[in-house]
Amino acid sequence: MNYFVKGNPDLCIGCRTCMIGCVVAHEGEKIFQMNPWEYVFNPKLDIVKTATITIPVQCKHCENPACMNVCPVGAIEMIDNTVVVLHDKCIGCKTCMIACPYGAIDMVVASDGKKQLDNSDRIVANKCDLCIGREEGPACIQVCPTAALKLVTEEDVAVSVSNKRTAAAISLSQVKGS
Amino acid sequence: MSMGVPEIEDAKLLFIFGYNGADAHPIVARRIVKAKQKGAKLIVTDPRITESARIADMHLQLKGGSNMALINAIGNVIIAEGLADKKFVEDHTSGYEEYKAIVEKYTPEYAEPICHVSPDLIREAARAYAKAETSMILYGMGVCQFAQAVDVVKGLASLALLTGNFGGPNMGIGPVRGQNNVQGACDMGALPNCYSGYQSVTDDAVREKFEKAWGVPLSNKVGIPLTHVPHRVLEEKDEAKKIHAYYIFGEDPAQSDPDLAEIRETLDKIDFVIMQDIFMNKTGLHADVILPSTSWGEHDGIYSCCDRGFQRIRKAIEPKGDVKTDWEIISLISTAMGYPMNYKNTQEIWDEMRSLTPSFYGATYEKIEALGSIQWPCRDESMEDKGTPYLHKGGKFAHPDGRGKFFASEWRPPCEVESSEYPYSLSTVREVGHYSVRTMTGNCRALANLEDEPGWIQMSPADCEKLNVKEGDLIRVYSRRGSLITRVMPTERVKAGATYMTYQWWIGACNELTTPYLDPISNTPESKYCAINLEKIDDQASAEQFVKDSYESIRTNMGIDTAKKGV
Repeated sequence: MNYFVKGNPDLCIGCRTCMIGCVVAHEGEKIFQMNPWEYVFNPKLDIVKTATITIPVQCKHCENPACMNVCPVGAIEMIDNTVVVLHDKCIGCKTCMIACPYGAIDMVVASDGKKQLDNSDRIVANKCDLCIGREEGPACIQVCPTAALKLVTEEDVAVSVSNKRTAAAISLSQVKGS
Repeated sequence: MSMGVPEIEDAKLLFIFGYNGADAHPIVARRIVKAKQKGAKLIVTDPRITESARIADMHLQLKGGSNMALINAIGNVIIAEGLADKKFVEDHTSGYEEYKAIVEKYTPEYAEPICHVSPDLIREAARAYAKAETSMILYGMGVCQFAQAVDVVKGLASLALLTGNFGGPNMGIGPVRGQNNVQGACDMGALPNCYSGYQSVTDDAVREKFEKAWGVPLSNKVGIPLTHVPHRVLEEKDEAKKIHAYYIFGEDPAQSDPDLAEIRETLDKIDFVIMQDIFMNKTGLHADVILPSTSWGEHDGIYSCCDRGFQRIRKAIEPKGDVKTDWEIISLISTAMGYPMNYKNTQEIWDEMRSLTPSFYGATYEKIEALGSIQWPCRDESMEDKGTPYLHKGGKFAHPDGRGKFFASEWRPPCEVESSEYPYSLSTVREVGHYSVRTMTGNCRALANLEDEPGWIQMSPADCEKLNVKEGDLIRVYSRRGSLITRVMPTERVKAGATYMTYQWWIGACNELTTPYLDPISNTPESKYCAINLEKIDDQASAEQFVKDSYESIRTNMGIDTAKKGV
């Protein structure tokens, strides 16, 4: 099963530390010393605020990802329980962005410094990669001051489903005979 | 605060009034979230749906400027329904009868047309507050930045007296002070009426003590409050009473004070302005002399937290360039003016202050180091005296008779309310990424990536529809005092007719619009209420150009290098 980051709106205070943590995890701490126009600020999650909810929205790492299925060049793959955009292959066609029902993909200037043949910027699909390869796991979870974010794994889902089934069994037993 | 910040987590009920922790102090907001997780009931009074209001059990979404009426109504319900702590009132308070007489008419039905909160909700909140095992009040600038502010603070304290919520842990009343070490500035006597530890300048014994220690005669008169400076420059006819020189440090009145046009005129009319800060700011544009000083990571010292806790801060890096610490600059200026100051370090200054301040005397550097934080009063140097986590233990108050004084006042409307010409209200607020006047955070790249000039005006979707504007549009905002351009931020979290702006932006500087009306006791300006109008801008492209050009021009005037900027 693919993993994903789940936010708890009862804990989130909308401070956007996760967004900064995300950029630092991908671009490195060097951005604190660079001029703003010299690096790409591309958080892979976005805080959404409605009247009743505050929570970051990011990729759900779907099991049957619409983005991956529609990508005409095979630039989206599943690697280590994670749906990943391969920026080298991405042609910036935006099909994945349109296909994603969560709005979890946007288009940004490629931050690897690679350019097109005419030296103009390459624009690529940008989305959560669960900080793949980062030892401490997703940075957003690590930096959240209220511990509002959690990585959901197979084990968590199994426990959650099991607990719900137990609760369902108890509630069913209370209506036996009806 | 009468309590300590960590106690927030263990209160059984939090009554949050005009305080938006998530934006002002995320670290305190974390305590609020934890309290809720631990089962505390949350009542939030705020005209906006703040993050705390969103997770609250009850949200009293009052109309701005009606605080006093709502608090009186809550007091009214507690008395009318027999929920007061009669023993506490009898044993530890004074003035109950006078209090009761004033709140008598403030029934929830009387308050409703003023506050726009339903009588049922007022009653429900009053009952919950009075009945909880320990109730704690947290309030912020939504109380203090009104022309009726001190009355409201006393009104809130009276609710705590009425219900016996003083003198034990996890209760009481806490002003969650706006800025880092603002508590410390007050504790150290950076106020016109007191020396360190709130020792009055009009008390002869106190004055003589300081005269003896410092070897100079001192005035026995209360000085001029910050917010009276414009008047003392622009209106004062007597040259001897007029202000001729203004030494400003760690403050940017040309950004933070109300009615900026008046502030600029004031700064330009004063004969001599010294500005001492870590970066260039708007006030610096009007200064005759600029003294560059070190930032928080470049010097030692002690801060007071909002809960009276002294904490040591330590130099983390060596300062770069031609800068000095604030205390070195002050010592040098004092020496040059004929009063030599030869301190070697901050501990010497702290020890001198302690020796003159009985309520802080026990808070030595060593003890603060050992304990991490010491909350005053701390009177004895021995390790036995670990300070005072919460005040008024056993119901003993600071008044000479040891009793807590009830206080109520009639509600007064804000000084400038909506009219046909200016049909919207404006309140200044905070946003999490930018601190105070952006002197520090405006220079932080990642924060500029999240939010940048010209800033936003929060408006209800209904008002946006009425004006035919959408998110991100530039819009003109004007009041009787000034006008500016900012961006439209439609949000369901505000009510129709009310608008909100953060006050740190150089282009969308909302203090161009605010009123200079003050609370008569605290002299704090009414930043939370003034009347404005909004005007859709048809030519968005030229407005965008205007914003860009204005920003570049401010940066150029400040000498900030923009030549290399490629965008």
